[in-house]
Amino acid sequence: MELRILIFLAAAVLLGSCTKEVKIAIPGYQNQLVVDGSIRDGEPPIVLLSTTQNIYAPTDISSYLSSFVSDAVVSVSDGTTTVQLIQICTDNLPSGTEAYAEAIFGLPIDQLQQLHLCVYTSIDPSIFGQIGKTYSLTINHGGKTYTSSTTLESPSALGYLKWKAQPNNPTYGYLYGFLNDNPNHNDAYMWELKYLNDGFFTKPFGPYFNDQFFNGLSFEFTAYNPMSYADTAVANSSNAGFFHLGDTVVYRLSKMGQKEFQFFDKKTNQLFSAGSPFATPINVPSNISGGALGVWAGFSSWYDTVICQP
Amino acid sequence: MHQITKFPVNFFTLLGLMFSGLFFDASCLFAQERHTLSGYITALASGEALSNAKVYAPKLNKGALTNSYGFYSLTLPAGIHEIEFRFTGYPTVRKTLDLTKNDLPMNVELGFQDGEKVYDEVVVNGKKGDNVNSTKLGQIELDIEQIKRLPAFMGEVDVIKTIQLLPGVSSVSEGGQGFYVRGGGPDQNLVLLDEGVVYNAAHLFGFFSVFNSDAVKSVNLIKGGMPANYGGRMSSVLEVNMNEGNKKRFGVKGGLGIISSRLTVEGPLKKDKGSFIISGRRTYIDVLAKAAIPDSSPFAGSGYYFYDMNAKFNYQLGSKDRIFVSGYYGKDVFSFSDKKGGFGVTMPWGNGIAALRWNHLFSSKLFMNVTSTFSDYKFKFGSKQDQFKIEFVSGIQDYNSKVDFSYYPNDRHRIKWGANYIYHIFTPSSVSASQDTVVFNTGNAQKLHSHEEAIYLMDEFDANSRLRINAGLRYTAFQHVGPFTRYIKGDISKPDTSITYGKGDVIKFYHGLEPRLSFRYLLGDHSSLKGGYAYNYQFVHLTSLSAVSLPTDIWYPTTDKAKPEKGFQASLGYFQNFFDDKFETSVEVYYKGMKNMIEFKEGALPGDNVNDNTDNLLVFGQGWAYGAEFFIKKTTGKFTGWIGYTWAKTERKFPDLNNGKVYPAKYDRRHDLSVVGMYKINESWSISGSFIYATGNTLTLPTSWYVQDQNLLFNYGARNSTRMAPYHRLDLSATWYDDAYKTKTDPASGKEIQVKKRLRNNVAISIYNVYNRANPFFLYVDRNGDFLKGDFKLTVKQVSLFPIIPSVTWNFEF
Repeated sequence: MELRILIFLAAAVLLGSCTKEVKIAIPGYQNQLVVDGSIRDGEPPIVLLSTTQNIYAPTDISSYLSSFVSDAVVSVSDGTTTVQLIQICTDNLPSGTEAYAEAIFGLPIDQLQQLHLCVYTSIDPSIFGQIGKTYSLTINHGGKTYTSSTTLESPSALGYLKWKAQPNNPTYGYLYGFLNDNPNHNDAYMWELKYLNDGFFTKPFGPYFNDQFFNGLSFEFTAYNPMSYADTAVANSSNAGFFHLGDTVVYRLSKMGQKEFQFFDKKTNQLFSAGSPFATPINVPSNISGGALGVWAGFSSWYDTVICQP
Repeated sequence: MHQITKFPVNFFTLLGLMFSGLFFDASCLFAQERHTLSGYITALASGEALSNAKVYAPKLNKGALTNSYGFYSLTLPAGIHEIEFRFTGYPTVRKTLDLTKNDLPMNVELGFQDGEKVYDEVVVNGKKGDNVNSTKLGQIELDIEQIKRLPAFMGEVDVIKTIQLLPGVSSVSEGGQGFYVRGGGPDQNLVLLDEGVVYNAAHLFGFFSVFNSDAVKSVNLIKGGMPANYGGRMSSVLEVNMNEGNKKRFGVKGGLGIISSRLTVEGPLKKDKGSFIISGRRTYIDVLAKAAIPDSSPFAGSGYYFYDMNAKFNYQLGSKDRIFVSGYYGKDVFSFSDKKGGFGVTMPWGNGIAALRWNHLFSSKLFMNVTSTFSDYKFKFGSKQDQFKIEFVSGIQDYNSKVDFSYYPNDRHRIKWGANYIYHIFTPSSVSASQDTVVFNTGNAQKLHSHEEAIYLMDEFDANSRLRINAGLRYTAFQHVGPFTRYIKGDISKPDTSITYGKGDVIKFYHGLEPRLSFRYLLGDHSSLKGGYAYNYQFVHLTSLSAVSLPTDIWYPTTDKAKPEKGFQASLGYFQNFFDDKFETSVEVYYKGMKNMIEFKEGALPGDNVNDNTDNLLVFGQGWAYGAEFFIKKTTGKFTGWIGYTWAKTERKFPDLNNGKVYPAKYDRRHDLSVVGMYKINESWSISGSFIYATGNTLTLPTSWYVQDQNLLFNYGARNSTRMAPYHRLDLSATWYDDAYKTKTDPASGKEIQVKKRLRNNVAISIYNVYNRANPFFLYVDRNGDFLKGDFKLTVKQVSLFPIIPSVTWNFEF
């Protein structure tokens, strides 16, 4: 909520003011490795490596793509088994991974197949994520070693998840669920949604939250439909944010560690407040040691499928 | 490596010598009979006390100044003396007084009869030569009438914007009310309204001052060499005194401006014995917003307004006792409504101050003032999104009592001593949140209780005809007391723990000595050398998460974890007047060291202190500042004004910020220039202008970008490593005065005489930012386009707030 008011204040200032582009010296650029790695229960580790770009560097696709790193040695260990990750590249994708690649890179498959973008991963099931295990990541690149670790917490299930029509609109409604928070944990969550037949999940506005406010409490909450904003039929209508009667949606509630939550929480804050004079400049805190940016995050998930009907 | 040096041990030797000197002087006094002339100096037309009026015996070259209550005491050798009573803007009164045998009480009224025509020729500069003669170093008293003649932003005459035109004083940002003095933070300024502490001196997110110029009598800024009777802040004292009200007749004055109006009523409670003044001000921004936003709009109900009220009553109980009751209450209310999104915000904040003062005259040489004040600052933020509600409250309550004695044993010593006690109740943050009927656990309201005490002793004495010394010692103590809960955060899988203290438990005790010393050495009739040293403790801190000052900034006290800020300032100045004191010039250099400064740790966010102590989010470091100030002022004549230039540097070093490296403060400015001029064309017109130039503020911008999960993120560089473009601006104003006098036939003599009109009015026209300079308010990196579509662009944008803004204000008085 505070974020929204800060955005409003910033908007008020901007509206009542004059804004112009300026060229000003911003000293202190350093080229740093960026890690975007994750591991889920039952899934292989996925690691993307790239480097930071100068704030005045070109921001076209080719500059972005050229920032990817493909000459690193990356390994993941669960304390017993250590596996060196292999590279799977978009111009040579294994069959059935196309939708996954689209979800990772955000580009359509036909475009991806023309590019050579690689992720570090493994097909060895022994290193697939398991709840309760801690996974260490080691990256050797450019003569430097970067390390991190993450634990797959026990997932939390919702008490229930249901659909309810709006009072004056029986064909569009919202989801409401019941959360029992564990009183002995500093729990951190991420929620996502997808239609049953979608290939990947969509994150809503602000998908990350922790139990700072409700540690140990049980309460009912509502969830809006983030996919509706990509649907041109409803995106600009009063039905945006609601679920249509008859939709089947999959809800994913993932748990993560506090350090990982700090990364995602500060990232969200930076995305929505960067540029505001009312906000503090926030560097997103990495959980990678050795001077790299980014995150190595373990997620353990609980799924529920809801058919939108009374 | 900058180290804060401790004050020299020799200081105590000096103090000892000073007071032994006092008794030595006293013993010598028996050799010559002396008597004391004492009393009050008031304005003839209104009966209001005149502070800093001068009582002067020219043949002996001895003099005294009135205190803020108009009292003076001057001890002279027995004899008949010609005495001058002076005050700026008024004709000098000369009296031949017989002090041959006894002390002489003498109350004097200066000025003009109400209705009497004022001629420029009889008006004098009552402070002529004071800047050279006094020990005041880095101290400036502003004339409220002069402030009113300067260009005013949107027509609102503003005390704080005027002091920002002085060397060594910088504004926090364009239009901002916060001010930095000699490299200290905005919380290091003690802002007093009738001796009550003002914690937030700004309206409208900082663009207007809480001080209504119609209710203000005097403004005094001490930016260096703080005397021992002031404490609790490290950088400066801004002392604002309210008008007392006219003791002779009832009057009304007010003004109609483009965004606000004000009205003041004053008059006698009993003629020549007591008076009152009530002054109010309100903006119409909400009314304009309501007209602009139709009821059908989802944003209907959004708006902003502020109002403030000042009231003061004073009464003379007898020849030796006077009481003053004064109060201030001001509030800002911001509201935002988005009915479509089911979202609403209300954000009220404001100050309340009440002060009760009692003056008592024990003798012609001993004056006492007892003050009790209550200050209350509160900020509230309430937000609602559908069934989710959250409320954040922050505030401070101070119960403050102090007693000050002024003793004038002879013409060489002016001694003050006193004591001060403050009970602070801080509510740095109290959060409550609910979803429908479920109330979230946001912890108990964090209230912090503390006691602050001080005693002081100071003496301003003339060591010889050239050397005057002001030496003082202040002892301060601070106790952080319960009830209090110290939170100790656990990591995942570990529960949080806490330590609870009971009511009155002393959690931490701090205390220390604050030596103060300043001197003036006369080099000639019109030049002097001055120096000063002041050591200060500060027990309250303002913590800010944003790049600009906001009411959301949190005041936080010293605790077991947050240690008191402490530091010193040493300064040296050369003062020289020219052309019979028409031109005053000075050069001052200073060095300031500060320890235990406070900032939020990297990445801290609002709300992080829920179920936690705010000081768990703080980091501590040190700072230093140094600079040189050049000042030239023309004090009399049709053309008056000043030029001030400051060269300065201010830096910070925090082990937990910026990788422990030194970085510039966000208001580090190498150059700061202000040029102010006022010209009285004739009785009907006066014009004025001000020009300022300042090196751009520093800020932290991203040096690089990277991508994570298809989101482009920024990586920020070294703290405050980017500097904005320089700031410069010219403001002009012209004021037209209706002829204040009319010709009338005196029924007694039959002659035509000039008498003052009952209704007097003027129209002030101001142009802010005459050449429409787009000054930087802040910079940000703008993201535009779709990253994955290839049309994405990052650009550095500069936001400027105020273009050229003309304004008109009609002022009236009857």
